[in-house]
Order: sequence, then structure tokens, then C-alpha cells
Amino acid sequence: MIEVTLKINGKMYTRKINPMLRLIDFIRDEIKLKGTKEGCGEGECGACTVIMNGKTVNSCLVLAASANGAEITTIEGLSNGDHLHPIQEAFIEVGAVQCGYCIPGMILSTKALLDENLDATEAQIKEGISGNLCRCTGYTKIVEGVKIAQKKIINSQEGD
Amino acid sequence: MQAVGVNYTRPDVYGKISGKAVYPDDIEFEGMLYAGVKRSTIAYGKVLSINIDEIKQLPGVEYVIDYTMIPGAISHGVIFKDIPILVKDIVKRIGDCLILIVTNDKESLKNALKQVKVEYEEYEGVFTVDDALKEDAPIIGDGSNILYDIKIKAGNIDEGFKEALHITENLYCSQMTEHAFLQPEAAVACYDDDGTLKVYVATQYPHYDREEVARCLNVSEDKVKIINTTIGGAFGAREDINPQCHAAIATYISKKPVKVLYTREESIISHSKRHPMKMHYKTGVTKDGKLCALKARIYGDTGAYASWGMNVLRKAAVHATGPYVIPNVDIQALAVYTNNPYSGAMRGFGATQVPLASESQMDILAEKLNMHPLKFRYINSFEVGSNTATGQKLVSSVGIKKCIEKIAEIAEIKL
Repeated sequence: MIEVTLKINGKMYTRKINPMLRLIDFIRDEIKLKGTKEGCGEGECGACTVIMNGKTVNSCLVLAASANGAEITTIEGLSNGDHLHPIQEAFIEVGAVQCGYCIPGMILSTKALLDENLDATEAQIKEGISGNLCRCTGYTKIVEGVKIAQKKIINSQEGD
Repeated sequence: MQAVGVNYTRPDVYGKISGKAVYPDDIEFEGMLYAGVKRSTIAYGKVLSINIDEIKQLPGVEYVIDYTMIPGAISHGVIFKDIPILVKDIVKRIGDCLILIVTNDKESLKNALKQVKVEYEEYEGVFTVDDALKEDAPIIGDGSNILYDIKIKAGNIDEGFKEALHITENLYCSQMTEHAFLQPEAAVACYDDDGTLKVYVATQYPHYDREEVARCLNVSEDKVKIINTTIGGAFGAREDINPQCHAAIATYISKKPVKVLYTREESIISHSKRHPMKMHYKTGVTKDGKLCALKARIYGDTGAYASWGMNVLRKAAVHATGPYVIPNVDIQALAVYTNNPYSGAMRGFGATQVPLASESQMDILAEKLNMHPLKFRYINSFEVGSNTATGQKLVSSVGIKKCIEKIAEIAEIKL
């Protein structure tokens, strides 16, 4: 057993863990944040995407031990109380959500993309969410949702 | 009709965009056990022995359950009860469930499943419809390899082909398809204070599930409650029972909450598939461009178990003409057992495969007629008053001609 400390959604968590524990298990089983989903366990589907030190990772492919000291954002860290993030608002508005299982990962990939490049083109958006599989929507509404989110964020920044 | 053309926010969206929506794997109970099944790795054969006594001794293992410990029915199925919950002796496909292992943590379960050793007497199976229909083929189904055989006839097929200027005859094969919904199967079973056994599961048919769980536990249906969680995609593959009975049996025996969670690999191995179909099509057209005859033979590989095989092949037969008037038809569709993964419901349910054949035939005939394929479809498409191949007279809601007119207008095609 080894001791690790991770900052998840702004809060510090210290746990003694098995060095083989995956980051997704740390998040779901140790911290009990169930919004991060496992779809394949081998980094293909992106359902378990979280943001680690500003970059997206498949949390099924990262050992919790190697995330020691890292700053992690999960879907639970995105909204501020009942106040939704513009990406969440946009996904609701456009009807980008069907079964919902890919959505936490999809939203976090979108956030990482727009944090880095708010003016991403359609091609860049598609590339940005290319690691996240969705079997329901056919992606059209999701890409539209990202575009609406871009406008919402730009508008809110102009308002500041 | 007030809802048409109006945007509504789906009520479940807030949970889904915030990570609060509860799928079965998100549910935990104090003292919960974990259960999983060892599945067959051969497609056809007899189980000779399983090292159950050794498995019982492994760390963390609480129970090892075989078919003799199931209190009620040992098989399930949406129409025919032919899918073993746990196999008695014969396995008919890769992925048949052999024994159910219950442990007190996830890691022990993974380890125990790896340690299971099964001895088989392997039989030679059949893996194509052609092989399954041979006279000396092993019988995979209940007395026959033909699960279902439907014929649809209208007019006079020989006379119909005599009227034809062009005839085209081709074989079309569609592939097996996996649903690959994003949330792998999971179920959590537990007892309520009043002795009702509850199963939390993402399912398409909670009422069917209740019946199946009650049957296998040999209790009345009012002693079973199925609680549908948020469903992470389904597309037909959550119509048949998957983890429901296993979780329920493990709870029945242990009296404790039990979770069954599939890996992606187990999900793909275990549940139904879209029927691969072989479609022989012979279609005739008159010099005026009117379809005059269709002879179709459709064979669906229904795999090792019935599931919805007859319903799917019936739908394939009914939709064999496509949305076109053909006065003389001779259609036959068969669902055929093999040792492949079993086929069942998947979006479209048999109506999805036949357009590969029927629409390809349309394109080929249009070319022979030197007619635009859209025009060819237009002059043959159903309208109010048309008779379908099954003898149904269409009396309302036949929008295809109007739809084609709109396409022609936008694409600037002369009809």
C-alpha cells in the first residue's frame, strides 16, 4: 500500500492505496464520485475521461499512484452548485444528450479543448472529441453543442 | 400534435450532464458481494467437469453456484425459454454461462474466474446457414435447425416474370452487427425489508425481467421488483435477460446485496446480435418501368438460441419488397440455428437488412431501363390505395411519393 494525495475538483484527498489501483477506481470507489463512467477499460471509448493537470486522460489507463499530486477535474467539478457550465447548458439546449453515458467524458473533452482554443474550428472540434465514442447521437448534435458553448463562453467573457 | 416542431428539454438531461444520473454500476450497498459467470470458450460441446471444489477454496470466494442450485427454471428467453441461465451439460455457443461465482470483492472475483478450468467434449458445430441446412448437419435447435419459416405469395410469380423486359438476380449478404451501447451490462440485487427481492438493472423490459427472475427463483412475481436505472444505450440488446437472473440467484442464496458487472469483452460476447442475412433476390420489370415480379429467399443466421429470431425474419419477409408495388411475389424467409452468437433485436428488427437487397435491385433495374433511379422509385412507390405483398390495402399516411417529389425538386431531377 502506498499513500497518495490528489486534488479532485479543488478538494484534497489522501488515501492509502494498492499501487495497481487505476485512477478511475480511485475516483469512483475511493472518493465515491460516480459521474466518471467506465465503458471499455482499455482507453478506446473515452467515457472515463477526466482532466488531469489541464489535459484530458482516460482515467482507466492512468494509475492513481502516477496521478499523485495531480489536479483532477471530473464532471462533478464542472458546475458551480446549481449553476451549470456553459458547455452543459449548450448540450441541453441543442439536444446533444441521449443515453448520457458518454456525456461526462464528452463534456470534459470539450472543456479541455475550449480552455486551450476557444475559437476551435469544426474540424478542430471533431478532433478534440475524437477520443470520445457516442453510440446514440451520431455526433451532429454534440458538435453543434460545442459550437453553441463557444458562443456562450465568448459572450460571457465580453460581458465581463 | 402540439409537440411537433417544438423543442422540449428532456427531463432526465440534468442528471446526465452533471454526472448524477444513476446507472446500475453506480449503486453500492453495505456488505455488497460481487458475482460473475464463467462462460464457455468453445461453441459446441458437452461440459465434462469444472474444478468447482478448487474454486471454492480461493481467497474471497463465498459461493460457487451451478445449475443444480437454481431454485426454479434453469433457462430463460423472450419467447422460447431456451437460453441457459447456467448450463446443465451442453454448450451451444461461445459465451454460454457455466457457473456463477460470488466473492466479497472485485479482485477476488477476477482472480477466481481466471482459475476456472473446464473440461469439454467438443463437438463439430455449424457456423453458416448453408451448413446448418445440410441433411447431415448437427441439430442445434429444438429438433430442427429451422426456427422459423414464413412464405408470402401474391399474384402469379411465373406469369409475372413473363411480363418482364428485364430481370436481375443477385445474392446479397449482410453482416452480424454488435449494438455496442456505451454502458456495459450491470445489475445489483438485494432484499427489501419485506422480503421482496429487488434487482436494479438497465433494461428495456422490466416486466419481462420480473417474470424471468421470479421463474428462476421459483417465487411469485409479487416477490420480485425490477428497478430500471438510467439506461446507457440499449438498441435491442437489453431485451433479452443478461445479468438479471445471475444477480438475483446470488442474492437469493447469499441473502446479501450482490453486484454483477460485465467487462466490455463480456458484454460483446454475451448479448444478442443483429441477424446476418443471406438474401437471394430475383426481380423483374416491364418495359414501362413497372415492377412485375419478385422472388426472394431470405436466410437469417439466428445463432444458438431463439430470442426474437422469428419476429425478425417475419419482418424481413414483410418488408422484402421495399416500399414498392409488386403484384406478383414469392417470398420465403427462414431463421436458421447455428453455433454462432444468438441473434435478436437490434434497431429496425429485420426491416434493416432487406433494403440492401431490395434497393440495390432497384438501382440495377433503373440502369437497365436507362431511367433515373429516383424516377424509377417514384413510379413504383406505394400510394394510398396500393396493396402491399401481404395483401394490406394502404388507406392513409403514405408519404413516399410526396417525399420523392420534394427530393426531385431540391436535386433538380425530372420525375
